[in-house]
Order: sequence, then C-alpha cells, then structure tokens
Amino acid sequence: MDQIISSYFNLSVLRQALPYLQNGLILTLWLSISIVPLAMIAGLVIAMLFDLRQKWLNALLVVYIDLFRAFPPLVLIIFIFFGLPFLGIRFSEFVSFVLAATLNGAAYFGEIFRAGIASIPRGQYEAAVASGLTPLQAMIHVVLPQAIRNVLAPLTGNIIELVKATSLASVVAMPELLRSARIAQGNTYNATPLIAAAVIYLILLWPAVRLASRLERRAIARR
Amino acid sequence: MSASATSLPGTAGETSGQPLLRIEDIRKSYGELEVLKGVSLTVAEHQVVAVIGPSGSGKSTMLRCINRLEEPNSGRIFLGRDEITARNARLNELRRNIGMVFQQFNLYPHLNARDNVALALRKVLRQSKATAYATAEKTLSRVGLAEKFTAFPAQLSGGQQQRVGIARALAMEPKVVLFDEPTSALDPELVSGVLAVIRDLKALGYTMVVVTHEMGFARDVADHVIFMDHGQIVEQGPPAQIFSAPKSERLRDFLSKGLGH
Amino acid sequence: MDNIYRYFFNLDVMRQSLPFLLNGLWLTIGIALMVIACGLTLGLGLAVVRAFQIRILNIFIIAFADIFRAIPALVILMLVYFALPSVGITFSSITSVVITLSLVLAAFSLEIFWAGITAVNPGQWEAARSTGLTFTQTLRHVVLGQAIRMVIPPLTNRTIAITKYTAIASAVSVPEILNQASTQQAQLANPTPLTLAAILYILMFLPLVFLSRYLEHHYGKGR
Ligand SMILES: Nc1ncnc2c1ncn2[C@@H]1O[C@H](COP(=O)(O)OP(=O)(O)OP(=O)(O)O)[C@@H](O)[C@H]1O
Ligand SMILES: [Mg+2]
Repeated sequence: MDQIISSYFNLSVLRQALPYLQNGLILTLWLSISIVPLAMIAGLVIAMLFDLRQKWLNALLVVYIDLFRAFPPLVLIIFIFFGLPFLGIRFSEFVSFVLAATLNGAAYFGEIFRAGIASIPRGQYEAAVASGLTPLQAMIHVVLPQAIRNVLAPLTGNIIELVKATSLASVVAMPELLRSARIAQGNTYNATPLIAAAVIYLILLWPAVRLASRLERRAIARR
Repeated sequence: MSASATSLPGTAGETSGQPLLRIEDIRKSYGELEVLKGVSLTVAEHQVVAVIGPSGSGKSTMLRCINRLEEPNSGRIFLGRDEITARNARLNELRRNIGMVFQQFNLYPHLNARDNVALALRKVLRQSKATAYATAEKTLSRVGLAEKFTAFPAQLSGGQQQRVGIARALAMEPKVVLFDEPTSALDPELVSGVLAVIRDLKALGYTMVVVTHEMGFARDVADHVIFMDHGQIVEQGPPAQIFSAPKSERLRDFLSKGLGH
Repeated sequence: MDNIYRYFFNLDVMRQSLPFLLNGLWLTIGIALMVIACGLTLGLGLAVVRAFQIRILNIFIIAFADIFRAIPALVILMLVYFALPSVGITFSSITSVVITLSLVLAAFSLEIFWAGITAVNPGQWEAARSTGLTFTQTLRHVVLGQAIRMVIPPLTNRTIAITKYTAIASAVSVPEILNQASTQQAQLANPTPLTLAAILYILMFLPLVFLSRYLEHHYGKGR
C-alpha cells in the first residue's frame, strides 16, 4: 500500500511536476480548441458539398472520407512531420499537428454530418425552397438543425476522440500534457506525474463521456 | 384581401379574370419514362383549378414543375409576365409568389407553428421578428389555430398540421397556391376541416391549383377541372360537365371506379 | 514532381524496406486480432454482468467504462508500460499494447452492448418471462441476439477506430508497421517507407471501412 502511494500518489513529486503539467495542459487545450472547430467546419463543408449531388465531386469526397478513416492518425502525423520536409514544405510543429488532426477529424465529421443530412426527408428542403428560401438558407435553417440533432451522439464521440488524439503530439515531442508528464516522470523517477496526467484527462473529458453514452443510448433506442 | 367579385361560383368562373399562370407544352421524363407528355394549361386570376386523375398520371410532377421543384425538360411556364422556366429566372423571388401545400405537410419538426410560418417571412422577406410573428399569428388564426402558436408539429393532429402548412404558404401572400393532395394523408374525420379552409380561401379570391382525390370537393369548389392520365390532359372543363357529362372513355372509366376513391 | 517520386515513391527504397514493413504488418495484424477478440469478449461479458443490476458490480463496471473512454489510449499505454513496473508488475511492450487497447475497446463496446440491451423492447422481456423463461434464459436467448443486431454499425465503427490505434505501439518500440517505417526512413534517409506504411494501412483498413459502410446501410436503415 505504502509503495503504491509513494510511486503513484506521491505529493512531493506532484508538487515538482505541477509546472510541467500546467504547461502541458495549456498546450493540450490550445491544440483541442484549434482542432475541434476547424475539423468540424471542414466536415460541415464536406457534407454540404456532398448535398450538391455532383457525381464526380461526391466520388472525390467519398475517397477523401474513406482514405482518412482508414488511416491511423498517428501515421498521418508522422507523415506530415517527417515526410513533408523532404519536399521543402515546413510548418511549425503546432501547425503540422493541427493540419494532421484536422485532416483526420474532418473525414469523420464529414461522414457524420453527411449521414445526418441524408436522414432528413427531402420534403423538408423542398418546403423551404418552395417558400422562397435559397438552398443555402434551407440548409442552414431547416435541414442542418434537424440533421445535427440526429447525429449528436457520434458528434460528441468524435469531439472526445479528437481531444484525446492531441496526446499523439507527444510522439513528435510536442510538450502537451502527456509529453510533459513523461518529462516530469523522467526527472523524478516516479510515475505520479503520469497518473496525474491521466486524472486530468479524466476530469476534462468525463462529463463529455457521460453525455456521449446518454446520447448513444437514445440513438440506438430510436433505431 | 377583398373577396373578389370575379370568382363567382359556377361556370361563370370559367373565363373570368386575367390569365395568371400559363403552362405551355411542358414535358418531363425520368430516364426512359416520359411522365409529362406536353401539358398546357392556363389558370386565371381568382380561379380554382382542380386536377384529378389516376395514380401515377403525372399530377404531382406537373404541380412541382410550376415552382421548379422538378425541372421540366421542355416547355415554358409563366406567372403573370415572368417566365418561371427562364434560364436566368430569379427562382427564390418567383417561388415566394407561389405557395405550396404538401401531401405530407413537410412542416419543420424543430420549429413551433409560429416559427414554421415565420421562417420565410424573416429570411426571404427580411421582416423583423416582431413583424413576422404578427403576420404568422394572424395567418394561423385565419386557419383556426389561434391557440396553437407555440405548439410543435408533433403536438398537433394531422388536420392541424396541414392547416399550419396552409398558413405557411399563405403568409407569404403568394399570387397562386398549389395543393398536392392536401388531405390524402389525413384520417377521414379530419379531412373536412382542411377542405373548409380551402373553401374559405376561394371565397377570399385566392388563385389555387388543387390536386385532389376528393371528387365531391372538386365538384363543389373548383371553377375548372383538369383530368390527367398518362402524362396528358385528357379532358377539362367546368365541374358540371366533367362529372355529369364526361366525354372521354378514360374519364368515364376513372369516375366509375368510385368517386372519392 | 521529381522530388515527390524520389522521396515518396522511390522504388529502390521500397524494395529495400518492404521486407521490414511486411514483418511489421504481420505484427500489427496479430495485435489487432488479439485486441478485437479480447476487447469485444470482455465488453460483452461486462454488459451481460451489468444486466443483472448488482449495485456494487455496476458501480465498478460504469467506472471502468468511463475511465477507459475518457483517458487517451496512449496515456493508458504509458501507464501500463512505464508506471506498473513501479509496483513490480512488468509486461512486454507488445503485451502492454494488447492490454491497453483491449481495455479501451472493452470499455467502448461495453457501453454499446449495454445500450443495445436497454433498447430491446420491454415487451420482449415480458413475453419471454411470461412463458416461464428465467431472467438469464431471456437475456441469452431472446434479448442478446436482438441487442447485438441493433448495435452492429456503431460497434464496427468503434472497433475499426480503436484497432487503428495499434500504431501507438510504435511509441513503446514495438516493431509494427509504423515503427518499422520510421526506422527505415531514418536509416535510408528517405520517407518512402512512410508512404509504404500508409499504403499498407489503407490496404488493411479500407476493406473494413467499406464493411462498416455496408453494415450502416444494411442495419442502420431498418427502423
Ligand atoms: N423522382 C422520380 N424518379 C423517377 N420516376 C418518378 C419520379 N417522380 C415521379 N416518378 C414517376 O412519374 C410518374 C408520375 O408521378 P406523379 O407523382 O406525378 O403521379 P401522381 O399523378 O401525382 O400520382 P399520385 O396520385 O399517386 O400522387 C409515376 O410513374 C412515378 O413513378
Ligand atoms: Mg401525387
């Protein structure tokens, strides 16, 4: 018991690790609030382009969605970090990571929004344009509000996954929460900082996880 | 909105009023299947035209071509002086002059009755929220829904939903209102309420094209009846003639298969 | 254009690195299969236990589900691989990865299975119990089958998403595809192995993505 406390819940180690954890958390949050909205907007654009029903465009979008869904995000990250520089393309670490995660997240969001829009009967759109709304207005005021409600469960799930995916930045040595915890662990020869990082993730995402399972249960019950 | 003197009941309505809606030889195919084989039709101001015919004869398609929910392959459609089918037609502006009421209501389930009616007022006519709500409430009251402003579609009966659908179309003050089987999705006991609303609209002088299976209604309310079959207008005329003295074999056949399905 | 060919589709480099990557591929497939088998079994088992509504057990099950859904897989892997040894529990890197991802998949699939079980019409329970079936018999013969059928689309999606995370094994130097590709890339000073890795991942996961599309279509619409 004592050993567990001194190796995992060591207060003096925690005190030492706190500055690292704090900086790490800040980077994690910055990454998250950059990636989630960007990927969401990109996904929404993909889904709306899909609704134009242009054969070739749709084929292209499906290829994009499926390729990036088949692609582990970490592979994409490594590719962008270590591959692109060979072509002389260099972004900052932050931008590289946001790019990789957005490309990945947009594919998922795109598929989610597409399914949501497809779940709305055509008559909704027709009623809206018949009353004089432009197709874009019909999409924004009539179709999307209903579509989003139908896909809240996967939407929440995907937001959680994207936030969790920021931990992959540690692999390319970006000092986000996990990486910072690992550094502190190395400095103190003690696993407490890692436990602390896990707890921080838990606190950060637990409400969203609860919400996601409530929504998912409702969505499955509706089938 | 004055009750118009030109929409007198009976055959007098046949020829009265300026031509408002003109359909010239429209054709429409889905792949191999030709659904409209050259349909021409003129609707005068204040006239009520009923469209009858067997299932699959192209009634809905014709109606949906009028506001270009379907694109006709050829032919022209005019609303007053404006050509709806013109390549550069300002579709959204034309459409707001053509109200449409759908068989399945197509109410927006995420908006309450008032917002259903107010949406186009606000987004198309750019009315302020207060103005749009005032119009919406006035229109809803007119179709007998004064108590249901904030009810959501799911909380309304089919008949009430369809009356919201009608109010949504009327609120834009359209020049012509299209009805696609407005009572076909309703339980029998709710049909008469909705038909009564349409009858009131006629008294107010609205120009309407009503696709319907309610033969009794067509006979009582329409000024002019169109019988369609296989993508063509087979016969047309005042209701008395269509229902009492049908000329064509196909219409006789159709009518004998049971009035009001 | 030349550079793209030279750095990303260099045939010489491909020829040299392919054997290594194929070794990695088998390892990735092995890990993935282990994770799917262990994760789904554990998830289904826990969902069934949860159906018995034993208070204390349920608290643990729900806590397990929430924790392993909220904490990123990579953080859990770090805990298993770097923190557990502090109390004398040591796993090989491969075992650590299998344990980590199995637990994560179990947590997610548990929630999904459970959502399916609760979504089965109560009338089914009443009908079965009224014919004299016991609770367990009803669960096993009447409810589970329907529940599983209902949750196949979300379950497939989730399983694919988590299986893709085998790539994080490279972070603890398991010589799977991504790790092999990174090593080869460094050794040959050419990112072509990364392209190769990407292609292998796509070959591996694209059929699964198609499968999930098919299932979505097949089971998703049957409302
Ligand atoms: N989008 C479409 N694609 C292919 N065929 C269509 C489409 N819409 C309608 N049709 C076909 O066009 C024909 C006419 O359809 P329409 O809906 O206009 O008939 P209707 O007279 O309104 O029939 P009902 O009384 O059943 O409503 C039918 O044979 C129908 O199958
Ligand atoms: Mg029809």
